[in-house]
Amino acid sequence: MSSITHSSLGQQLNSLSRRRYLTGTAGSLGALALNLLLKGEQLPAADATPHSSEGLPTLPHFPSRAKRVICLFQSGGASHVDLFDNKPTLHEFAGKEIPPSIKGDQRLTGMTSGQAAYPVTPPLKPGKPCGASGTWISDLLPYTQTVANHLAVIKSVHTEAINHDPAVTFMNTGNQLPGYPSMGAWVGYGLGSENANLPAFIAMTSQGSGKNPGQPIFSRLWGSGFLPSSHQGVGLRPGANPVLYLADPPGTSRTQRRDMLDDLARLNQERADDWGDPETLTRIQAYEMAFRMQMSVPELTDTTQETEATLASYGPDVRRPGSYAANCLLARRLTERGVRFVQLYHRGWDQHIALARQLPNQCRDIDQPTAALLADLQQRGLLQETLVLFVTEFGRTSFTQGKFGDPGAGRDHHGRCFTCWMAGGGIQGGLEYGSTDDFAYNITENPVHLRDLHATLMHCLGIDHTRFSYRFRGLHVRLTGVEEARVIRPILA
Amino acid sequence: MPLKPLVLLLVLLCWSPLAWGEVHFNRDIRPLLADRCFACHGPDARANHSGLRLDLEAAAKGKLPDGGDPAIIPGNPDASGLLQRILSSDPDLVMPPPESNLQISPRERELLRQWIAEGAPYAEHWSFVAPHKPELPPLPDGWTARNPIDHFIGQRLLQEGLTPSPTADRDTLIRRLSFDLTGLPPSVEEVLAFREDPSPEAYSLLVERLLASPHFGERMALDWLDAARYADTNGFSIDGGRHMWLWRDWVIQAFNSNLPYNQFLTEQLAGDLLPNATPAQRIASGFQRNNMVTHEGGTIPEENLTNYNADRVQTLGEAILGLTLGCAQCHDHKYDPITQKDYYSLFAYFNTLGDIGLDGNAGVNPRPQWQAPTVLQTGEEQTLRQRIDELRRQLAQPDPKALAEWEAAQRRDLAERGRDLQLLPVRLMQVSTPNRGAGFELEAERFVRVLQPSGLAAYDVLAQLPETARPITGLRVVFHPDEIAPGGGWGFGPQSRQRQKENSPVKGSFRLTAISVSAGEVPADQVDLYRMLPVRRITANTWQSTHRPELSLDMRNENGWAPQDDHQGNVHLTLTFGEPLDPRKTPYLTAQLNFGAGDNLIATRMELFALLGSDDGSPLPEAVIDALQVESDKRSDEQQQAIRSHFSAHAPQTERLRIDLQNAEERLAVQTSAFPVMVMNVSEKPRPTFILKRGDYSQPTLPVSMDTPEFLPRLDHNADSRLKLAEWITQPDHPLTARVYVNRVWQMLFGSGIVRTPSDFGSQGEWPTHPELLDWLAVDFVEHGWDVKRLVKLLALSATYQQVSHSPPALLERDPLNLLLARGPRFRLPAEFIRDAALRTSGLLVPQLGGPSVNPYTPGDLWREISHYGSTPATAQTFVQDHGEKLYRRSLYTYWKRTAPPPNLVAFDAPNRETCLVSRPSTNTPLQALVLLNDVQFVEAARAFAERILHLPADDRERITYATRAALARDPSPGELEILLNALDRERNRYRAEPALALHLLAQGESPRDESLSPTEHAAWMQLASTLFNLSESITRH
Repeated sequence: MSSITHSSLGQQLNSLSRRRYLTGTAGSLGALALNLLLKGEQLPAADATPHSSEGLPTLPHFPSRAKRVICLFQSGGASHVDLFDNKPTLHEFAGKEIPPSIKGDQRLTGMTSGQAAYPVTPPLKPGKPCGASGTWISDLLPYTQTVANHLAVIKSVHTEAINHDPAVTFMNTGNQLPGYPSMGAWVGYGLGSENANLPAFIAMTSQGSGKNPGQPIFSRLWGSGFLPSSHQGVGLRPGANPVLYLADPPGTSRTQRRDMLDDLARLNQERADDWGDPETLTRIQAYEMAFRMQMSVPELTDTTQETEATLASYGPDVRRPGSYAANCLLARRLTERGVRFVQLYHRGWDQHIALARQLPNQCRDIDQPTAALLADLQQRGLLQETLVLFVTEFGRTSFTQGKFGDPGAGRDHHGRCFTCWMAGGGIQGGLEYGSTDDFAYNITENPVHLRDLHATLMHCLGIDHTRFSYRFRGLHVRLTGVEEARVIRPILA
Repeated sequence: MPLKPLVLLLVLLCWSPLAWGEVHFNRDIRPLLADRCFACHGPDARANHSGLRLDLEAAAKGKLPDGGDPAIIPGNPDASGLLQRILSSDPDLVMPPPESNLQISPRERELLRQWIAEGAPYAEHWSFVAPHKPELPPLPDGWTARNPIDHFIGQRLLQEGLTPSPTADRDTLIRRLSFDLTGLPPSVEEVLAFREDPSPEAYSLLVERLLASPHFGERMALDWLDAARYADTNGFSIDGGRHMWLWRDWVIQAFNSNLPYNQFLTEQLAGDLLPNATPAQRIASGFQRNNMVTHEGGTIPEENLTNYNADRVQTLGEAILGLTLGCAQCHDHKYDPITQKDYYSLFAYFNTLGDIGLDGNAGVNPRPQWQAPTVLQTGEEQTLRQRIDELRRQLAQPDPKALAEWEAAQRRDLAERGRDLQLLPVRLMQVSTPNRGAGFELEAERFVRVLQPSGLAAYDVLAQLPETARPITGLRVVFHPDEIAPGGGWGFGPQSRQRQKENSPVKGSFRLTAISVSAGEVPADQVDLYRMLPVRRITANTWQSTHRPELSLDMRNENGWAPQDDHQGNVHLTLTFGEPLDPRKTPYLTAQLNFGAGDNLIATRMELFALLGSDDGSPLPEAVIDALQVESDKRSDEQQQAIRSHFSAHAPQTERLRIDLQNAEERLAVQTSAFPVMVMNVSEKPRPTFILKRGDYSQPTLPVSMDTPEFLPRLDHNADSRLKLAEWITQPDHPLTARVYVNRVWQMLFGSGIVRTPSDFGSQGEWPTHPELLDWLAVDFVEHGWDVKRLVKLLALSATYQQVSHSPPALLERDPLNLLLARGPRFRLPAEFIRDAALRTSGLLVPQLGGPSVNPYTPGDLWREISHYGSTPATAQTFVQDHGEKLYRRSLYTYWKRTAPPPNLVAFDAPNRETCLVSRPSTNTPLQALVLLNDVQFVEAARAFAERILHLPADDRERITYATRAALARDPSPGELEILLNALDRERNRYRAEPALALHLLAQGESPRDESLSPTEHAAWMQLASTLFNLSESITRH
């Protein structure tokens, strides 16, 4: 071993760095090795196949069905009562008190806990059975109705959180309190990126038409928590700087930048040789990737080459950069380019008031683009390797917030049951799973905790969630936490 | 088969002599048992089904609870059940069980075997026993030891067959020391003076000088602010603003005045309880108020308060005690002997606080709070008063040339007024407001009508623009009087509280706190934040002097435009866009009219018009317009004065002076006025504390009272108040407090701690690389009165610290992480230091200490995209950039909004300050490159740096030498000089060929540029300056 010369060791560190520079963990490379040494953990076997990206060498645990994830996060608490979980009883009870046996003694938020009465508000619009399984989807989502055969509609999702901040943090990080990595950060950390010119995890936000502004969102939702901060989601925004600081300063040309990078590389190389410093070598690579990103990101966000038919399929809003529709189109383009985890946050689902006025607008924002995204992925052969999640932080009460019949009335938060769907890689489409009582208020069959969604997401990516952890505060912490989490096997393809 | 690089490296490390010879329980065995076994065979009784405890020696070596043979039979590994079960191939027997996903490697098995063979000696966990000062180990002849640290480091090097590296050169040392002790690079003058200082005392004098610098406190504070999760916003949900900077400044002052660490902790934990507590001590107690809070509607106060206290216990554990106490919130700790009762006994100390479960809206601090002047007195008052006088004088005596220019521009503007004016109605399509579904409507596609006001509200109005071939130059919003408004006014609010009190007839009015407009090819129900139209001119037909039209372009709720009460008829506001709109390309316009002042100051009947041609309004008051019509030599004194005062107060030519004046006045107030801060108190009716089942606020079980953990040495009297808690923590022989802090200071100077898990000194934490040294330092620290400056000095004066950081190949192979310190440490600078260094090198840095946090450059309004803007009285919902000196303050004064922290610092691993953090990660990413290359803060710094370089009367070579000294604190090598000279020529040629590009580049940033310099030359040097800022070395401390 001692025959290794300086330069060859440097090269090896360098090539190691190359593998890691995108995730930026090169700095902790030694730490990894040393941890293994000090902790006496098993070294990766000599025949471990290197992964095609910068992820962990031990992943995936088993062959994956999905290579990538698109998570369509409906922020604010989308109403399962109106959109998916149709219960004829709600019409019978319209304006009548929800039975105490149904309401039980579950805790309510401070917004309705003081109400004198809890009259039922029936679903806003009729709907129809869709797809092979005849799953009911509201007429508020006419386009979604047409893609029902792709969806595994889970009607029995539940969470303990009943307020936005803890609930949205819970759904995205597996913990109600801050400090934990988001789903995308976990996936990026574990599997790395398939594209050396783009980050592994990209997040986009859009404002909803239902309620403006929607509930606030937080950078922690796409944050890296205790994972190295290079795993945080990179925000993609409309405008001249789709990634912050992407554009060269005015009066700087590409060739000029190229020249500067060449100078930097030579100067840095001299320093790295002098110091024996792999970090500096990694930094040279980081600058090269930055240079490539400056070209690959504008190319990515330039949708002028999309056909009219494709653009039209996403609906008129696709021409408004920053809209949910435009973000859905970008999600497809990112997925095509191998970005591992794409997350959209669409705000405005918090219909405490004016349900009848707000909800149709909110649905219009997302319906056509969501359906178009699935169809577009399908048409390009990407859907089978892309897991699509349509999730929210909680559902809404089947009883009224405010006065029944008042145009200002709405629905409060409801964590005891709500609907999410999954589609694409690893998922059997055209089915529904789990059920609730006649008031869409309590789960009656096959409860799915949000941890189970996380476990299933990981499973589709070839990851056993129980074996994918990171040491933090002396614990082997997992996305799915310490409570039991199950993969929802019946919905798997 | 060729080995893959990773494997090769690991094999190298594995065979390295770093592996230990003799088995040592605390170092080798306890961490192993803790990590793989304690979860089920440790302190957590709930999880321990067999009853076997491996954390307790007697239990592990005694008969099992079911009568079975002992798990460990000292001296007989093969007979020991522990090893048998680990080695078993039966999946039902093997330990750890397969479903745990835990494994014990062959090497670890051998360690266990050896340990049992050697008699399986147990030892108390090292960090739970008070440290003793060990004897200094001897060193071989010829080895340099400048102080005791070197003996411990040297002894280990000797054992490992390594030798220390030589002392670094003076250039390296001054840069290293300056960053480590002040967070700033040295100046060229400082570098040269130190380089040439012949005194043997030069180094220690430099250490003394830096310790005495006021920037020492800033540097030391940074680490503490991370640990204390200090921020300027509340964190949860709406994340509104709070005021905690008095506490931050207390921390800086505490380090600068070298407050002993035991006192530093006591005042922060219980300053309010000290006898005759001073204002400073009360401010200090804000430490445990830095936790996040919420006022999210609908959240349950008891749950929130539980979360707040849980955060306080976690912070106490990780920031001060080096214990992961948080693990015991739901159950007994799995690895350390911390019971749930211990946890809630600590929880009880903070549970007596009189805080409120939903509190802290509208920029008002959550209770309890306190008002006080800052303790960080900087002695600037006199200078500031002089500066304010001088700025006022300059404003009062306008430069005649500038005034004439302005007057000419105003006359042109007046002449242009109303030219080809046409106002076309737009077709209103939709109106919405976030929290109301009713109480407003569209009338005849023409008027927005608000029927019921709701305190504050922002209305998004979608309109179709008229079909016209003429470009649309702007937007007019007309506010009509309406009978539903009080007194037939334009709105629902009281224009002044005074009138309301006097009970005189009130004409209902409004205050438009902000207006924003976007246009697009498809209808957008809400203003499109990504396509907001710039506004170049704004007028109104009436305004109050404190609420002028242009204040509606500042998006905050605190200001805005309001009409004068006695104005008759309509009032209107007219915006002229930066660029005219073509309604055929962008037929839809959305305007957000924000009435954020509260008090129902909301308009009732609004109408929107597309503006064609020129606005007929003027931003000038009538008196100024009249005066401008008169030839300047024929004006009355009054007319002349009207013009001059308007010029001073509003002209673009005087804007810089106004900003400087406002900043100076604010700065004076910082030094002279009282400000709010959150503090601790004891409630009149303290909440009782219970053990909470699974940590759930709604499942209280047994009551507990304040007490310290049972497994640690206790006070000889009841520790029944926060003050007693502080007394317990700062006992001289507390096993953790001094070790934990000494370790963190070590981390600041050496890149990582002697214990590399600085928040966890428990059994899952890492074994110290130099345990005796840690103990020696901890005891020495306490013996010398917890003197922080002395500790820093001790570290800095060691030979270990002063070594070169070069890693020769053999050393890199042996010890890639530099655990043994056979060389000086080298690591990337923290985020704040990187920005501060660029500011200092460029000469832009404004080195003021303390004060309210500032908002330097940020790419756009990143806050509004995610916030509750328009729907809340909370502050910090929209980002408004500061100007003048506030752009160039040190980064620890940057406003920290937790849900959207400053992106250029986050890129370099700055935390979001949501929870306690005592060790930042250090990554190396492309986003960092983009920040250094393109962020206007760094681009402007390159421009200012280039200017500094060009002001040096010298040739290119000399200038490059100067620049390298300024940026890197050393001279360039011949190779570097060559590369940089070539680069300079290349850039010169480039900008000479295209001089317009030079001006574009030089226009970046708000600081004035020396226009006497040739733009092409300046731009070329600016590229060179940027190259230097982007060197890996620039952001590395070596």
